[in-house]
Amino acid sequence: MSQFFVITFWEFFRHFKSRSFLLATFVSPVVFAAIIFIPTLFLEDPASSQPRVIGCVEFDSSGICQDIQSRYLEANAMLDQPSPVQVIPVKPDTSLRMSKIFSNVTQLKVDLDSLEDAYNKIKERRKYIFQKPKTPSRDALLKNTYADLIQTREARDLAQLDFQRAKHESDSLWRVELQRKADRMLRDLELEGYLLVDRNDFERGVVEFHSLIPPNFLEIDQVKQAIQVVVVEQRLKNEGVQLEKIQQYLEPVLLREIQLQGEQKQEFDFMVNYLGPIVVVFFLFISIFTSSGFLFNGVLKEKTDRVIEILLSSVSHLQLIAGKIFGLGILGLFQILIWFGITLILIGLNVLKVGEISFLTIGNAGLFLLYFILGYLFFASIFVGIGSLFSNSEDAHHLNQFMRMLSIFPIVLAVLVLETPNSLLVRILSFVPPLTPTFMILRTPLGSPSTEDYLISTGIMIVSIIISIFMAGKIFKLGSLLYGKRPRIKEIFTLMFRKG
Amino acid sequence: MEVRVEKISKEFQEKQVVRDLSLDLSPGKVVGLLGPNGAGKTTTLRMVLNILQPDSGQILFDDHRMNRKTRNTIGYLPEERGLYQKYSVIDVLQYFGRLKGLSARKSHVEAVRLLDRFQMIEYLEEPIAHLSKGTQQKIQFLVCFIHDPDFLILDEPFWGLDPLNQEIFRNKIQDFKEEGKTILLSTHQLMEAETLCDYFILIDRGETVLKGTLKEIRKNFHQNIIIVEAHQNPSVLQDIQKVNKVEIKNSVAHLFVDENAPIKSIMQDIIKKVDISKMEFNKPSLNDIFLQTIKSRKK
Repeated sequence: MSQFFVITFWEFFRHFKSRSFLLATFVSPVVFAAIIFIPTLFLEDPASSQPRVIGCVEFDSSGICQDIQSRYLEANAMLDQPSPVQVIPVKPDTSLRMSKIFSNVTQLKVDLDSLEDAYNKIKERRKYIFQKPKTPSRDALLKNTYADLIQTREARDLAQLDFQRAKHESDSLWRVELQRKADRMLRDLELEGYLLVDRNDFERGVVEFHSLIPPNFLEIDQVKQAIQVVVVEQRLKNEGVQLEKIQQYLEPVLLREIQLQGEQKQEFDFMVNYLGPIVVVFFLFISIFTSSGFLFNGVLKEKTDRVIEILLSSVSHLQLIAGKIFGLGILGLFQILIWFGITLILIGLNVLKVGEISFLTIGNAGLFLLYFILGYLFFASIFVGIGSLFSNSEDAHHLNQFMRMLSIFPIVLAVLVLETPNSLLVRILSFVPPLTPTFMILRTPLGSPSTEDYLISTGIMIVSIIISIFMAGKIFKLGSLLYGKRPRIKEIFTLMFRKG
Repeated sequence: MEVRVEKISKEFQEKQVVRDLSLDLSPGKVVGLLGPNGAGKTTTLRMVLNILQPDSGQILFDDHRMNRKTRNTIGYLPEERGLYQKYSVIDVLQYFGRLKGLSARKSHVEAVRLLDRFQMIEYLEEPIAHLSKGTQQKIQFLVCFIHDPDFLILDEPFWGLDPLNQEIFRNKIQDFKEEGKTILLSTHQLMEAETLCDYFILIDRGETVLKGTLKEIRKNFHQNIIIVEAHQNPSVLQDIQKVNKVEIKNSVAHLFVDENAPIKSIMQDIIKKVDISKMEFNKPSLNDIFLQTIKSRKK
């Protein structure tokens, strides 16, 4: 049998039986999927998570908080899923201290009212007396009641001042105490945030939101919409619009999100249409970098273990590189076939529902294989060249770390695809060879790229692979025999571009 | 296998590593490729193995250039030793056997046979990393000839071996020689080379400095050596006439004299100068010739 196949089988079987392969095939995907899905399930699944409690603080009894709560519940009632947020009014403190203050204010009010009443009665009586015919006794009565009137008015005015002072004091204290209570609830994690409604500000459409973490993370968009509705409602009321009309105008809107996928259209599901492709890309990443990582480490190890010279005494450089790349490429394909097999089993068991996951098609499986092969050949040829340059185990370790960091780069940049899968920048980046596999696989379900994009990206990848294999072959030919010397960048370029 | 190396040269980054080196190797003969560090020995071996291509000249194996069939008849023991540390002895031997064209079955049978013959059969399933350094060296040696090569290239075969294993390897090389295999041996250990090799080629800075059988090299060296052990400091022997050079090693004086020098008269002069405890007249060893030649080139 040709040495090429001997190397192919050796590389395939020695890595196939390794723990690293088993981990990369069965454990890493589960871990990756878990990292992505578990927090999402925790956030999305109402059974496993309580709704976020948002408080609402108002300083008077206008009932704005109640209105916000009602509008929010109405808007959510149209959706199938339970509300992620619960709006509750923050109740006033009923502590003894506050009760005393309130009873004092109440007492002052009672006193004031009674003096007001007494004053009004005196005024009424004097009016009654005044209307009688003028007699000496009437004048005497008016004179006598005048002193009462003045005295009562003065007492009432003083009581008024007392009441206003106490009321102002209690109002200020009320505001402070109410806000303090809301803050305390926030700190005690009874609330994740609270709305602070001041009537004057509210009429201008301003409401404060207090929280410990940035509001973006609390998903309070729907609460904002509820506030907007209440503000508009108030304004319409002020304009004199009928209540029925107002309710009609402010009927909540249900936005159904439909995504076009190839020829099909499907309702957008965050878990399936957004997180699904990310998981698929992680699988692609694992398959490319498991095999090319094995190749890289294998060459480094053969160099540090001083095996490479014996190999080169038996086979040519070309046979050695080709055998390695082919053997580990088959390993990568085998890994993907295992995943395909598991996917089919899960479909058979109805765990994965093909009808709901529209990108789970034979065509996309073909694209996955295509971009695996292209990505693997590209990275493998680069890794084999670089791996052959170093023989010191410490250098090799550092280089290994660096290559791992470099290989994660396309995944980091993939965020751009998630945001705008069809933007010009993403399209251009899809044609940059190190990014092509990740970007195109992510764009396929998210942005449905055109056939042109597939053809251009594949063409560029093929040309890049030919160039990188050519360069890697040159580097490997001399690099594999270099020992005890760390090559400089200039030397590496000399190796790449030297003739013959 | 007849191997003919014809005027091969190699240059790396404008530095001439090997220049016009020629060499003939025949079955049943051991050729010693000698030279100091950086002389170009390993590059020469790599060119013979077709790992590197010479810039000029050619290497013929039974009048043919290297091909896959030829490559499978060569056994190579590199100076830089190493094996796959994680894998078992049998797997490693089988893999290298298969790379040399043996079938899976044949390579397995040969591996077991060799391990048994070298009393290492108990290590059959043992990972290489679990073996002692000496045992690993022996496994490396087995890798070199598992496919029963016609032509063996041994680069520093005794490097790092204990005396017991050196003896085993030396005997094995003798066996190969008797079996009619062609052997090219590169070594620093000139004593070993002297006992094992039939033909020598000394290279320095890529150039051939000396070549021939030991007899021819000695003859061409045109000098003999008088070894003197004396009670006095032997440095007084420097002035004796007809002595080309005196070298003192561990209080023993080595006097280099021309091959036709009047030995009797020189010896008498020595006796007059010092109170000798021992005096020998010797043909120069390979080591002496090697050192003198390299030193004279440096001058």
